[in-house]
Amino acid sequence: MNIRRILTNPYLILCLSVLIAPFVFADKSAYVTGVLIFCAIYTILTIGLDLLMGYTGQISVGHASFFAIGAYVSAILTTRYGLSPLGAMASGMVLSGILSWAIGRPVLALKEYYLAMATLAFNEIVISLIIGLEGLTGGASGIRDIPPFAIFGVSFKHHLLYYYLVWLITIFVIVLSRAIVNSPAGRALSAIHGDEIGARAFGIDCTKYKTGIFVIVNVLASLAGSLYAHFIGFIAPDDFQVGTSVSLLVMLYLGGIGTIWGPVIGACFLKILPEITYHFQDYELLVNGLILVFVLIFLPEGLYGTLKKITKRAEG
Amino acid sequence: MSDFSYLVQFFFSGLTSGSIYALIAVSLVIVYRASQLICFSQGEFYVFGALIMASLLMKGIPLLAAFLLSLLSSVIMAGFIQYIVIRRLLKKPIGMLIVMTIAISLALRGFALLIWGRESYVVRPFFQVAPLSFVGATLPSQVFLIMGVTALVLLCLWLFFEKTLIGLAMRACAENPDAASLMGINVHRMSLFAWMWGGAIGAISGMVVAPLLFTQYTSGIMPMVKGFIAMSIGGLTGISGAALGGFLLGLTEAFTIGLVSSRFSDAIVFTILIIVLIFKPSGLFARSQ
Repeated sequence: MNIRRILTNPYLILCLSVLIAPFVFADKSAYVTGVLIFCAIYTILTIGLDLLMGYTGQISVGHASFFAIGAYVSAILTTRYGLSPLGAMASGMVLSGILSWAIGRPVLALKEYYLAMATLAFNEIVISLIIGLEGLTGGASGIRDIPPFAIFGVSFKHHLLYYYLVWLITIFVIVLSRAIVNSPAGRALSAIHGDEIGARAFGIDCTKYKTGIFVIVNVLASLAGSLYAHFIGFIAPDDFQVGTSVSLLVMLYLGGIGTIWGPVIGACFLKILPEITYHFQDYELLVNGLILVFVLIFLPEGLYGTLKKITKRAEG
Repeated sequence: MSDFSYLVQFFFSGLTSGSIYALIAVSLVIVYRASQLICFSQGEFYVFGALIMASLLMKGIPLLAAFLLSLLSSVIMAGFIQYIVIRRLLKKPIGMLIVMTIAISLALRGFALLIWGRESYVVRPFFQVAPLSFVGATLPSQVFLIMGVTALVLLCLWLFFEKTLIGLAMRACAENPDAASLMGINVHRMSLFAWMWGGAIGAISGMVVAPLLFTQYTSGIMPMVKGFIAMSIGGLTGISGAALGGFLLGLTEAFTIGLVSSRFSDAIVFTILIIVLIFKPSGLFARSQ
């Protein structure tokens, strides 16, 4: 029994899969590692969304906005002002933190669909500012020649090296998120999810906690944005539209909301799925949509919840 | 053109896009009240309405018949979606409902891609009349048709919800589904009717604007987002509020594009939305209770 428990430890499974994944595919091409790097970046984003929606119950249809801010701060500071990638990334995270603290208080006072609307609107504002402020952001044509990531002069230009770095950061984010969820603050967040008025009656400062988690998840989104910009080398407003926010929501529900591990599965599944359904060409969109409808109707707990159920049943 | 004629031009272009936003916002409100969900796939009915009509017209079917056939197929499609999918989702968390309607919209968009490919379609104007000239502004006939159809749809909706028994039953379901079902109203069937209305209005908005804009399988996204804004300005539940919100949005947009900046018009409109949401979440036109 003990061995089985060790073998089904999610951390172990994840670390092993991350280690061997690039070598499973025969050609070991940069393309395959590229897809896997995207998996990691979207995992970070979706875990943030899970902390916000799954644990605190605050809906966001604009999670890509801080992904955009992180990516653009990194791109602008490294290409225009010659800052090091690490410094640019840190500046993006600080800016995102301050900005989300400022807008968090009024916006998070909204509930349900109103909150969904406001976050969607914020995403649209960010995008139209990026397109509008052409001198700074390159407008609709984006910014190119963003340097690869480097730490104190050590470049992560090689795709395999960057792959391990990004997944290391992702695993750190998972550990951090689970620590948050299991802390007293995490339980306060769940209380807010369950019943905000009730939580307030027990002396929980709801505004403070909601703003706090909003700042944390947006700093994470900004981090993901910087990792994205330094990997892909070219960013344009299209990468951060409401459509991206929406696909993050899809990943969250596909994997299983409120589980932290679910988003890992959901993000990887949705990023790898097009590589398989790609062969369907024009059928791709229809097939993706139908798979989602199917999962939502028949597996409401998401892929992670279903997997867990199956392993539990196997254990008897 | 004088300055004044520019203002007239902006006003009418605002009314035209406002009509479309109003129609979509109203269809969203009807579906929202019946199923307690904001349907992110409403924009697809707009696309299907326009594209089905374009295909039928290209086959040489007369305009009115094409209009009605396209309307009918969108109504059937909306009813089908409600019957197959939405029925299973009563009282689920909001996030899940949002993702579900997004999934439906992806599937519908994929379906449209299969049928019509990536090309854009445009329909000939409904009436071959020379554009009207009004104090120096040029106004195509379709503009008046759009406004006329919008007024007609709103009138039909008012008659339906205020004067018919089914309309009354649907309003009862919107107020309190449990109590309504205790009174012998079939809540599922009322939700089905609401979806059919939603499909019909969505298709109409797509069809009337088809001669002015190019439509392709992804065209539904922007009108849907604008419909949401109009709906939120109106406070989510009011049909008249949503319609007014649509016109207000269209006019605001037209005048910011014309007078302030076309680059930042979206940013301005969305900022207004956030301000409205924060300070008056029940909508600009809500009566105090």
